[in-house]
Amino acid sequence: MADKKINKRDIAKLPNEWCREFSVLVPSRESGTVAMTRWDGKDIGFLDWYRNTVVPPRDSFLPLIEEMFSFYKDKDGYNIELPPPKEQKQLIFGIRPCDARALAILDMTFNDGYQDPYYLGRRQNTVLVGIGCTKAYDSCFCTSLGNSPTDTTGVDLMLTDIGEDFLVEAITDAGKELLTTSSLSKATEADQARAKVSEETARQKVTRNIDIRDIAQKLRASFEDQDFWQKVAAKCISCGICTLLCPTCYCFDINDEMSKAQGVRCRSLDSCSFPIYTRMPMENPRTEKWRRVRNKVCHKYEFYPMLFDAIACTGCGRCIRLCPVNWDIIQIIESVPTGA
Amino acid sequence: MTVTDISRRKKFFAQGNAYVPHIVVIEKIIEETPDTRTFHFSFKDEKLRKDFIFESGQFAEYSVFGVGEAPFTISSSPTRRSHLECTIKRVGRVTNALHRLGVGAEIGFRGPYGNGFPLDYLQGKNLVFIAGGIGMAPLRSLIWSVIDNRDSYQKIDIIYGARSPADLCFRYDLDLWGRDKTINLVTTVDKGDEGWSGREGFVPQVVEQVAPSASDAVAIVGGPPVMIRLTFPVLKNLGFAPEQMLTTLEKRIKCGIGKCGRCNIGNIYVCRDGPVFSYAQIKQFISSEY
Repeated sequence: MADKKINKRDIAKLPNEWCREFSVLVPSRESGTVAMTRWDGKDIGFLDWYRNTVVPPRDSFLPLIEEMFSFYKDKDGYNIELPPPKEQKQLIFGIRPCDARALAILDMTFNDGYQDPYYLGRRQNTVLVGIGCTKAYDSCFCTSLGNSPTDTTGVDLMLTDIGEDFLVEAITDAGKELLTTSSLSKATEADQARAKVSEETARQKVTRNIDIRDIAQKLRASFEDQDFWQKVAAKCISCGICTLLCPTCYCFDINDEMSKAQGVRCRSLDSCSFPIYTRMPMENPRTEKWRRVRNKVCHKYEFYPMLFDAIACTGCGRCIRLCPVNWDIIQIIESVPTGA
Repeated sequence: MTVTDISRRKKFFAQGNAYVPHIVVIEKIIEETPDTRTFHFSFKDEKLRKDFIFESGQFAEYSVFGVGEAPFTISSSPTRRSHLECTIKRVGRVTNALHRLGVGAEIGFRGPYGNGFPLDYLQGKNLVFIAGGIGMAPLRSLIWSVIDNRDSYQKIDIIYGARSPADLCFRYDLDLWGRDKTINLVTTVDKGDEGWSGREGFVPQVVEQVAPSASDAVAIVGGPPVMIRLTFPVLKNLGFAPEQMLTTLEKRIKCGIGKCGRCNIGNIYVCRDGPVFSYAQIKQFISSEY
């Protein structure tokens, strides 16, 4: 494999090159949280502090709120206008392996049956440059889900920390096309070996584990175990943060916004944690909190595998570290009765 | 025919952006009950008016621009193509906005979505239609379709109930079906008034009294969830096998095409895998939240 490497001092040269063709997004703290935002063209300072974003990169494909189309009325009736297509391609620099894998999981839903033009349009318009993790949060558990801190699933180009340099590995053709800068040099066998060590070291830092053997079957067997689900849901406050910041959550709502004579139909992220999510005028199948929590857990670990043969969780740990009441998916999965 | 065939998942074809509605124009409004209206409407686009096809039981997303979207079944029959109809009870934000509209108003329409009733499965059989309140809307589409191909089906029973005589929808249809010698129509209300000549009692009880034969029959049940849940055991006692009971389920549906998530019952998405299901399927659902 003809991998390349780049010295860390030269790292800014990469986005500098890329931003001629792409709108480059990098992890940033500017918005008061950590999110992928447009690179200001200055330093690549995030390497010093970046572990992962709080807002998952999913939001660059399925935004918190987006315009689906606008409408207005004239003498001939209603007219509908689609938003102009985005001409400039997008590049996300610094996506973590768990979040890139999450996009591959979301693709399954948005490609299945009807191909969702909004999500897939952005996916096709975006190149992903991953940076492997060297540090982990206490709540990370990617290795239990067949993922790893340096996994390349879903990324086009992968950077792995090998000390003074990053090993730069093109995973897709789109990734190859990014390797144009002259600052890249050829990686040696010693570099490859360093990458292996780096990967192993990173793996060791992921300390939490989740036992997912037969989890779908266990959940199936415990589905009607109301006592268990009530216990599991007891401290949940239905705030929805675990779903709104989950890189594999995608549920959305569709609403109209009006300003004067012009209206916009919007799609916005929604959460199965909210009772209103399933509320019909006369009826609501999930008014009780334990039913909503059960749906959330089972959707990820039982229903999604049934539909797509993939667990809809990448072990990023956001739902654990960002939960205001320390709800812990690992503890829940571990405590599912065996159903025997 | 196997259980899964009964409500097979339709391959969904849509050209372009399926979230963008077509414009339809309201042509007539019928007051069904104090809170329910049937809207007759047609596509503004002439080509769509000719080309649009759907099946009984399928639904669409209707929108009042500036207010929002909501799903309703198409209550007219695919065999009667002069216009489309939907029957809407005033219960929420979108339905209230729809009820404020008059003839000539334009609304958004996208669909049809879902699987529809399996006509090939019903052909040659005795059909027992059981409906409560506005739950008649999807069945009514199928009933007219069956009547328009009357020779393809055997006996027809229709058992239809509502809270009060004033809450019965489609009274103009009930008149016609009541006069049709090939149809056995039974109407019931929870509590009758002075002019009421039909039965009194809840739909499941009346089904028990009417006791339609299960022999070579399929029962098609439409109504509020509680009515559906109580009618299945009655039919079972009458000898109906799970494969002989069909229903159409209602959930909060937003996208209509299996993406937005909220209409799930376990791993089933009502908008995409239904809304028509056999009881044999429902029995196999992981979740009883139907």
